[in-house]
Amino acid sequence: MAAAAPVTTFATAGGATLSPDHYVDVAYEEKLRLWDEVKADPRFPDYLYGCYECGICVAACPSAKFYNFSPRKIAQAAAREDVELIFEQMNDDVWNCSQCFSCNRCPRQNSPGGLITILREVAVNNGLASSKAALEGYTRIVYKIMTTGTQVSPDMLQADAFPDWGPGVMEVSDNLELWRKALPPETLHTTSMSWQVDDKTLTELYLIWHYTGVMDLIAEVDEGLHMIILDVMEETLEEAGFEI
Amino acid sequence: MSDRIVVIGGGPAGLEAAAMAGRLGAPVLIVEKRSHLGGAPIAESYAALTHGLQSAEELMGKMMAAATDLDRVEVRTESEVVAMSGTGGNFTVTISSNGSEETVDAGAIVLATGFQHFDPGRETQQYGYYEFPDVITIQDAEGMLKEETFVTPSTGKPPERVAFIQCVGSRDRQIGNEYCSKVCCGISSKQAIEVRQQVPDARVFIFYIDMRMYGYWENEIYWPAQEQHRVNYVKGIVTEVLAKNGRLIIRGEDTTMGRPMEVPMDVVVLAVGMEPSPGTRHMADILGIATNKYGFVETVHDVLDTVTTAVAGVYVCGSATGPADLDDTISSAGSAGAKAVAYLRSGAEVPA
Repeated sequence: MAAAAPVTTFATAGGATLSPDHYVDVAYEEKLRLWDEVKADPRFPDYLYGCYECGICVAACPSAKFYNFSPRKIAQAAAREDVELIFEQMNDDVWNCSQCFSCNRCPRQNSPGGLITILREVAVNNGLASSKAALEGYTRIVYKIMTTGTQVSPDMLQADAFPDWGPGVMEVSDNLELWRKALPPETLHTTSMSWQVDDKTLTELYLIWHYTGVMDLIAEVDEGLHMIILDVMEETLEEAGFEI
Repeated sequence: MSDRIVVIGGGPAGLEAAAMAGRLGAPVLIVEKRSHLGGAPIAESYAALTHGLQSAEELMGKMMAAATDLDRVEVRTESEVVAMSGTGGNFTVTISSNGSEETVDAGAIVLATGFQHFDPGRETQQYGYYEFPDVITIQDAEGMLKEETFVTPSTGKPPERVAFIQCVGSRDRQIGNEYCSKVCCGISSKQAIEVRQQVPDARVFIFYIDMRMYGYWENEIYWPAQEQHRVNYVKGIVTEVLAKNGRLIIRGEDTTMGRPMEVPMDVVVLAVGMEPSPGTRHMADILGIATNKYGFVETVHDVLDTVTTAVAGVYVCGSATGPADLDDTISSAGSAGAKAVAYLRSGAEVPA
């Protein structure tokens, strides 16, 4: 039998009559601190006006078709300032969003996807274990994009990283070079790269990532990855005459 | 043939009907049971009126002046109509004031005896209204809001958490009131805004079945309540109110989140609906006009004539005909006053 749904508390410190099922070991004050950080984001007022729970965002949401995920509940929890539920969502729900912003068709002009952007950033900036786990599968993508400046490359098609790509991915990744040879020659039959990015562009990308705090985000999620990327970056930047 | 119009009830409907008939040149006599004019907004100490948020006392004062400044309009307070005889154009109305009776002639009668708030103890002790001092009704809340002293009644302190429960005594087959009382969503939202203004640290929740914020109530009340005043709307009706450790607990389902809820509250406000007032029921008997199954007065057409009764010369307006907000009431009352005058001038009903 499925576990009973957690009882809504619209929590305040000491005010709840029944505890929610999840994250009882995290202090209310910590959850409140993270929520205050979300609210303090300058984008927040433009992403949430009020919600009358019409569900148009869920109807438009591709993730909601496949996961137990509801952008409506994200907007509702934020509107109600349900600190306990928001913390649960910040850990479990926000990573099911593909950030396509189909939910922006909201008649109240809310942006549940925008709220999720902020929730994710707060989760990562505060080193929530769930954010590390959620992003683990993306290590290779992050590495690839941030070192070469190119998109997903064929050799990233690996079943262990992307179980949701289905059972066929195993067969493809096991014989990747052979499969690539079946494609038109314009692809150069490469497996480790999509295309070559020139050094000037790469230098600009590195500088943007450095100065906008993207590197700090990476460090928070995966220290090892951060070191590897930094090595590559520093070399390129040094050659281009930049010192960071 | 009498040219006088007797208006029964001196609330917003009666005042508007009297002012309209008076301005059209008819002598008018307002018969009011209470000691004052202004009806429920004055008797129940309403704070701001829903939609517009202007002072109820001030607007009722304007309405009283508009009627009573006319020489042709007479007022009898603490008076009741106890009998009526005759037919349209030639009614004889018996009025009882402080134990003495007088009869007056009238060509037409306008009934404007309004509504009463549903009594939450009428069928069952719903939500513990008579058990817990901190469970109050919207009219109780109006009094506190008017004095700007919105507190938890049992402690006298400002509340931290306030819940409104919608549809109390409305939309309920078991109670016998299947209709929507039309105004309570707006009033609760208005009060929620006032609570947030007067007690800025309070969290305010509205538990509802459907929010019926028609027309401009949506953008003037509902959206600002959510967006500027951070009132929380939760779809799901509370099933019971309990007390635990000296605090109220409300139990229900948070339907859109799909889970049961138990939430502590300091004050629970019951959005009680409208029922015909005892005066409306009683006057309908005396005047011989039909009422519907709920006791509200019926008119000759649901849509095209909302004020003419089946008894020639007798008109009805405001919430005596069913749940009505003040805008509705003023509109129907003006129509009733005008149609009563037209009837007297032409001796015939205005065709629907």
